[in-house]
This record gives sequence, C-alpha cells and structure tokens, in this order.
Amino acid sequence: MKRHTYVALLATLLSATAWGQEVSLYGTTMAQMWKTETPGFDKATYTPATQWLGIDATKLGSDNLSLHLFGWGRTDLSESTSFDGTKSGGYLNYGYLQYDFKQANAEIKAGRFTANQSTGFEQIDGVSARTDLRGGFTVSAFAGKPVLYRTVDPLTQTDYDFQRDFIVGTRLGLRLPKVGEIGISYLQDGSKAAKDLTFPSSVDYTRKQVGADILIAPTAAFDFRGRTVFDMASHLDAAPGVDRSRIAEHDYTATYRVGSVVSVSANYAERNFFAFFAGTNLPSLFRQDDHDKFKGEGLSITWNTPWGIQAIADVRHTERETYGTTTRTGGELRWANAEKTAQMGAGGHFTNAAKALLVDATAPSRSLTNAEARAWGMVTKGKLSASLDAIVQKFKADNPYLAGLKTVHEVIASVGFQASKNFKVSGDLSHGSTPMAKNETRGLLRADYRFGFGKKGGQ
Amino acid sequence: MARKTVLQALGIALGLGVLMACSLVSPETSFARTHPQELGAGRPLCSECHTNDVAKGALKPYASFDHTPTFVKNHKFQANQDSGTCASCHAQSFCADCHGGKVALTPARQFGGRPDRMSPHRGDFLTMHKIEGRMDPSACYTCHGRANNDKCRACHK
Repeated sequence: MKRHTYVALLATLLSATAWGQEVSLYGTTMAQMWKTETPGFDKATYTPATQWLGIDATKLGSDNLSLHLFGWGRTDLSESTSFDGTKSGGYLNYGYLQYDFKQANAEIKAGRFTANQSTGFEQIDGVSARTDLRGGFTVSAFAGKPVLYRTVDPLTQTDYDFQRDFIVGTRLGLRLPKVGEIGISYLQDGSKAAKDLTFPSSVDYTRKQVGADILIAPTAAFDFRGRTVFDMASHLDAAPGVDRSRIAEHDYTATYRVGSVVSVSANYAERNFFAFFAGTNLPSLFRQDDHDKFKGEGLSITWNTPWGIQAIADVRHTERETYGTTTRTGGELRWANAEKTAQMGAGGHFTNAAKALLVDATAPSRSLTNAEARAWGMVTKGKLSASLDAIVQKFKADNPYLAGLKTVHEVIASVGFQASKNFKVSGDLSHGSTPMAKNETRGLLRADYRFGFGKKGGQ
Repeated sequence: MARKTVLQALGIALGLGVLMACSLVSPETSFARTHPQELGAGRPLCSECHTNDVAKGALKPYASFDHTPTFVKNHKFQANQDSGTCASCHAQSFCADCHGGKVALTPARQFGGRPDRMSPHRGDFLTMHKIEGRMDPSACYTCHGRANNDKCRACHK
C-alpha cells in the first residue's frame, strides 16, 4: 500500500472517531538526550523526540462498533539515531474497526491488527473473525497482507513479491469445563514457496504450519499447557545427511501449585530453526537460516512468603546442535507492601557456557559464560514516584564481543509527578558502560496523558 | 451453461453452509468486554477474588490466569487460545508496548520508571543479543522471529 493511501485511510479512521460516544485518547511525549563516547570515534550527542498516540473510540453509531488506533513518530533533533541514517521515523502499530456481537463472544476486525490465534504472532492488514460455537467449540480465522516493517532497503525485499503476498490462519478449539482446552490451527504465509518461483530461490520466506495446542487445567492446583507445531511447507530437498524434521516446535509447561504459597513449573521446548528462519545473504556474520535444532528444559519454583516477599528460583538448560549447551541458574526476590506503593526486587543469574562451541577460537570454552545481578526499587507517595534500577553483567573471561570489557552495566533513576489522574510527567537519568559506548549517559523527559473514558490498559 | 450450474450449486452450498454455521453458533451471551472493576498496580492474582469454579466463556479455573512469573513468561499460550480474556483488562496497546512490530524504543527504556515490569532488553541488549542469540535464538524469535526475519535483516543483511 502506498504512503498516500495510508494517509487517506488514517484520516478516514480518525474522522470516524467523531461518531464515537466514548472516545479515549492517550499518548506519551518523550524527549531524550544522550551522549556517547566510543573508542575510536568522535563523541556524539543524540536528541530524539518521540510521540506515541492511541485512540479507542467505542459506540460508533452502534453500541458494538469500535475503532482502535495506535502508533508513534520520531524526529531526531541532532544526529540520527537510526541505523539507516534517517532523522525521522514512525509506524502505525494498529488501526482497526471492531464489531463485537452480544452473543457467543463473537467479533470481527478489519484494518491493521495483530493476529495471534494460530501458530504465529502476525501483524496483518486484513480481516479476522472469531466466535464460540455450541458444545464448547470455538473457531477463528484471519486473512490479509502481512505487514512489512521496511527496516531494510526495499531493493533487497524484491524477493517478497511472491512470498509475502498473502497470509491466512485459522484455529478450531474445544473447551471442556474443568478439563481444559485443545485446539488445532493452520497458518500459511505466502502463496508460492521459493522452490516454486519462476526463478527458484534458496531463501524461502513462506511458511505452512499446522499447530496443535492443549491446556489441561482440571483444578486450580494444576495446569499443563503447550503446543506442537508441524512444518508442512514444501522445501528444497535437504542435503544428504541433513535431518529435515517436520516438527517445527514443541513447547510445553506444567505448573503445580501448593495452595497459593508455592508453585513449581517445568518447561520443555524444542525447535527446528529451518521451519522458522528463512535465509541470509551474509552467512559469515550471522546465519539466520542455521539449520540446526534447539532443545531447552527449565524448572522454576516460586514461594509466596507470608511477609509479602516472593522468592523465585530457576534453572534452564539449553542445547543447540551447532553451538553446544548452556545452563542458566539463578533466583529473584520481589517484595511489595499491601498497597503496592513500595516495591523492590533483587536477583542474580549465572550462565555457564563452558560447553558452548565455536564462539571464539582463542577462548572456545568460556567466552559466553557470564554472571548477571540486578536490583531495583520503586516507591509512590502521594503524587510523587521514584524508582532506581541497576543491572550489571560480568563475564568470566575476555569476550570477543565486549571490546576488552569484562563488565557492562546500566543504572536508571526515574522520578515522576502524577499531576492528575490522567496526566503524569517523569524523567529518567541513566548511565551505562557498553562495548559500543565506553560511557553512555542518557536523560529522558516523559509526559503521559489520557483523555476520555478508557479504563483499561497500561497496567 | 455448465459454468452457470456450477456457480448456482456453489451459491446454494454457500448459503446452506452459512445457515448451518449460524445454527452452530453458541447462544450464550458474550461476557463483559471490560473488567467491571479497575485493578490496582502490580500483577493480579485472579483467584484471590474469583473463588468460583471456572471463568465464564473461557471455562478454565481462574487460577490458570493468575499472573505468576511463569504465566507472564508463557503468556503466549493464553493469548493464542483466548485473547478475549486478556482484552477484558488489557488494551491492545499493552501488547504493542513489546509486540508492536516496529517499536520506537526497547520496552525497558520506554518504561524506565517501571522496573517491576518484565521488559525485555534490559541493560545493553546490543551486547547481550550477540550472546543470547547464539545460545538460544528461539528466545529472540518469540517476538522477532518469523520467516521474513525483518528485524534481523535490518543489520544482518
């Protein structure tokens, strides 16, 4: 869709809000300034100004019709903050009309929105519909044109012409009271696989996936949820010896709760990257089409103590065929008073990557291993609020990605003033040390405002 | 003539299909689109107030919606199965804070005054993504990954 078409569509949608009997407008205006000192480069100053704006207009002529818009725009007042050197940017995150039926939780959407009822999480320009059926069944479907982010040179996106032209998805579910829910879904992204193009390409942006999801929640004490995704796409023939599994993903989590005091969760995930990543034209830097598999197992225990403290311990073991294994272990404490006007947390994690391979020839065994510590607190008193957040990551050995640093850190201090229920101003000051910028100090001013009748969101 | 007959048959089949589909639609009244009470700060535990069996419409125990650390990490399953329940408390913009497709700032920086939120990309994510992405790239593509790799391709051309 061309830019002027977007503008005309946006103007039409905005004018439609005039029909709304309940209009909620919310936004954030943010001005930032930061200076960087990068070894080998001149010092630089950046001053981007960013505006977010959202509109929810309900009862547009009919009680059931509503309009929802949300987007942002940015302009750089000094040097460009964008990788492509441009000094402005913006994006319409969503803009759609929604009709809610009074029966069967049915709804229809049209416009730009996010569809998440199949195996993917997709932004599309199109239509979607869902409804409950008799006997506990539900059905939903969406179709349209996938939204392209245009984050790369359009010339390199010519390969999208046939492969990113259309997206469609559907899900059929069955809900059983006190048992749970099962569902099957289908997603097709692109109408022609790369191998079927007039000039076949080795980079395939199309997907065909069938998903099966499940939730078993017979009691409040236990639930088991997850999904398996099957890769149904027509791919190029695999090289000899390459396992081209049809399983794109397994991802399952089981949680057991002992009253409201202790809960234990276990997760297993397995993914076949070939079913998700398309390809790259610079394989030496980062292979987005690495054709290997990933497996991960995790366990976490949460203890809600009687003193308002929540203690969480977790461990996660990952295994990637081409790079080896890692184990991340750690814990976190969170505390909040009864009114939640004061909250704080502290945590630490250690990532052991001693068995990760092919990272750096000079330090093959340890260069990914790191320890992370974080502490934060926030307090609200009357109209004033303040927070402090500090994070530090320490690496066990010289890391090729860190330009000689062993430790990176960032501290953010924030103060805010809630002038009224619908208007708040706040400011952040942060300092960090990173491989990109040896010293980086940022200042940020933020104004959040809301007009109208909207009650939800942002919590 | 044959084409007209086929089109007529298709039209009749479509009409019958629509009629049959309508008869299959649940007669239940839709549940409230907005949570009737405004919720306080922090992660809510639905089961603290809702002590009855299962949520209307969703037909699941309220405890399965409790915003525990595990639920927050795995919220995609709930969103896939029934985003309508999410929408009774969260506006779509809440999702777009992180899953906006193309966002102006990393969520951690945009909400620098909300350290209680589980915002991704805390600290120096440019450094960490090289490491975390290599160890577990699936952690990236839960938000950024789909076959077009737009996010990756911005730099990794």
